Amino acid sequence: MHGSYGNVRRLPGRLPKSKAGTDGSGRYMAAIELEGVTKRYGDVTAVRDLDLTVEEGEVFGFLGPNGAGKSTTINMLLDFVRPTSGTVRVLSRDAQAESVEVRRNTGVLPEGYDVYERLTGRQHVEFAMRSKELDGDPDAMLERVGIADAAERRAGDYSKGMRQRLVLGMGLVGDPDLLILDEPSSGLDPAGAKEMREIVRSEAERGATVFFSSHVLGQVEAVCDRVGIMREGELVAEDSIAGLREAVGGEAQLVVTVDAAGEDDLSGVRALDGVSSAHTDGGTVTVSCDSDAKTEVIGALEDAGVTVKDFSTEEASLEDLFLTYAGDGDRVDTTDDGAAADTGVAE
Amino acid sequence: MTVEAVARKDFQDAVRSRWVLVLAALFSLLLSLAVYLVPRDASTSALFNSLVVRDLFVTLLVPLIGVVIAYNAIVGERTTGSIKLLLALPHSRSDVVFGKVLGRAAALGVPVAISFVLPLVVALVTPLSLDLGVYVGYLLFTVLLGSAFVALAVGFSAGVRSQRIAVAGPVVVYLLSGPIWSVIQLPLQLYISGRQFPGWFPLDAAGVFRLIRLVNPIESFKILTVEFVNGFLFAAGQAGTEAAGRYALDTEIAALAMLAAWMLVPPLLGLWRFEEADL
Repeated sequence: MHGSYGNVRRLPGRLPKSKAGTDGSGRYMAAIELEGVTKRYGDVTAVRDLDLTVEEGEVFGFLGPNGAGKSTTINMLLDFVRPTSGTVRVLSRDAQAESVEVRRNTGVLPEGYDVYERLTGRQHVEFAMRSKELDGDPDAMLERVGIADAAERRAGDYSKGMRQRLVLGMGLVGDPDLLILDEPSSGLDPAGAKEMREIVRSEAERGATVFFSSHVLGQVEAVCDRVGIMREGELVAEDSIAGLREAVGGEAQLVVTVDAAGEDDLSGVRALDGVSSAHTDGGTVTVSCDSDAKTEVIGALEDAGVTVKDFSTEEASLEDLFLTYAGDGDRVDTTDDGAAADTGVAE
Repeated sequence: MTVEAVARKDFQDAVRSRWVLVLAALFSLLLSLAVYLVPRDASTSALFNSLVVRDLFVTLLVPLIGVVIAYNAIVGERTTGSIKLLLALPHSRSDVVFGKVLGRAAALGVPVAISFVLPLVVALVTPLSLDLGVYVGYLLFTVLLGSAFVALAVGFSAGVRSQRIAVAGPVVVYLLSGPIWSVIQLPLQLYISGRQFPGWFPLDAAGVFRLIRLVNPIESFKILTVEFVNGFLFAAGQAGTEAAGRYALDTEIAALAMLAAWMLVPPLLGLWRFEEADL
């Protein structure tokens, strides 16, 4: 199989400040700490010797193809399953012995859950509030996750996306210190996935630590401070998005729609610093370049007398990186709503 | 402790099941029929000692319903995955098991209690003179019996992964203590009374049979309710001799303790396995 710890890509200077929980000043507490965690089911090793630290206040994206061990790891954080060996600490508590306290301060959107078919949306949120021993307005929470008008309906009649919103709402009850979201965007349409990201952002702004898993890079990239990539039960990469991008050369693909362009018009572009290649088929110009060279590329094209109608960038290289780390490309879903691309229209 | 939150959620959920409605209607009809059919001028004790009420409605149906209402309590949530919603919230696994026992017992108690209302009305228009105290007391004993089977089924539901075993376990206990018991009771009694027990054995033949009978939750229920509707429960003074009074009292206390044990031991055993389990 694969070597364990040696494969982990940790770029110098991008390491979490400490694995012990504080950086000495006591300001950085680890929200999640896994040390040497292994989980075996019979002969199958779902997670192998995993070391992972997520600092308080961080938004951490947990990536990897289906079956890489992401959900098993999350299940160990919540004491749904117990590690075969190693220690798991969440919010500075033992994830097993003090699980109830952990979960009191944690909001969870699990994977592979089901709602209570016969209970209404409001009853679900009320149950979450009662369980956390809090008073609150269930309708306000349903409003926040966008299903207020379905409050009185049986959750059994909800669509997958509505169930996902409902369970997210249950997780947000009581402003938890830690949010654990397992594949939060599954079942959501692109607009729903975007709302999900906005909620993650606002929770992070409030100061919550967010730990979420995805097999789709695009959902993670837009909101995460750091990501870890799992493959076959091991953490094969752990870094910031920028760090990962840098690690593979940090190239972006700039696709420019033009009125007409020939090879001659590209010489100015090719001469720019940070541009590694440029091609055209007449109607579009495709340029591989550093992310920050985009403006100069557009400028150089316009200088060559080409009218730029539209352009978009694709951080395709990051996608490639993900595929490289995550293994078999066919097991990874990369057909998201394209959060990895930002689109603009030239004046 | 969040037992109450779990119990409430579970009650809300279970009580909305179509089952509960059907049961309330069925119970109500059966009991009304019994009230209607008991001979004129009969007493409340005659009603509850009648074949329809005691042997069909209460001891045959109520325990089975308890099993049906409760067998899926935990194993079902594990199968569908809703247990992840439940345990994502700050509930300990013992809160879950005992919350389920309470919630499902209430979900059984409500239709049973409702079904005791219509017969009261029937009693008003028939010559049966109903003793309200005995009537309500009998209702409570009935709920207690049902709850013992609810607890048994929740115990299995917590302790096993397979829905099939979760049904089969409590159903086997039900069959042994109900239908099968009624067939083998007499032969068993004869067999035991014909045996010589060695001198070191603390019980005589009658004692052994009494013990076996007490272990059976349905028999414990019958011991208690027969004495209760006849007005003899915990009233040893009513018996002819002091020895007989003591014997009756001991039996009644043991029967009550056995029912309590049925409500506690299976959930604890189930919890013990559930605590160790990966979801």
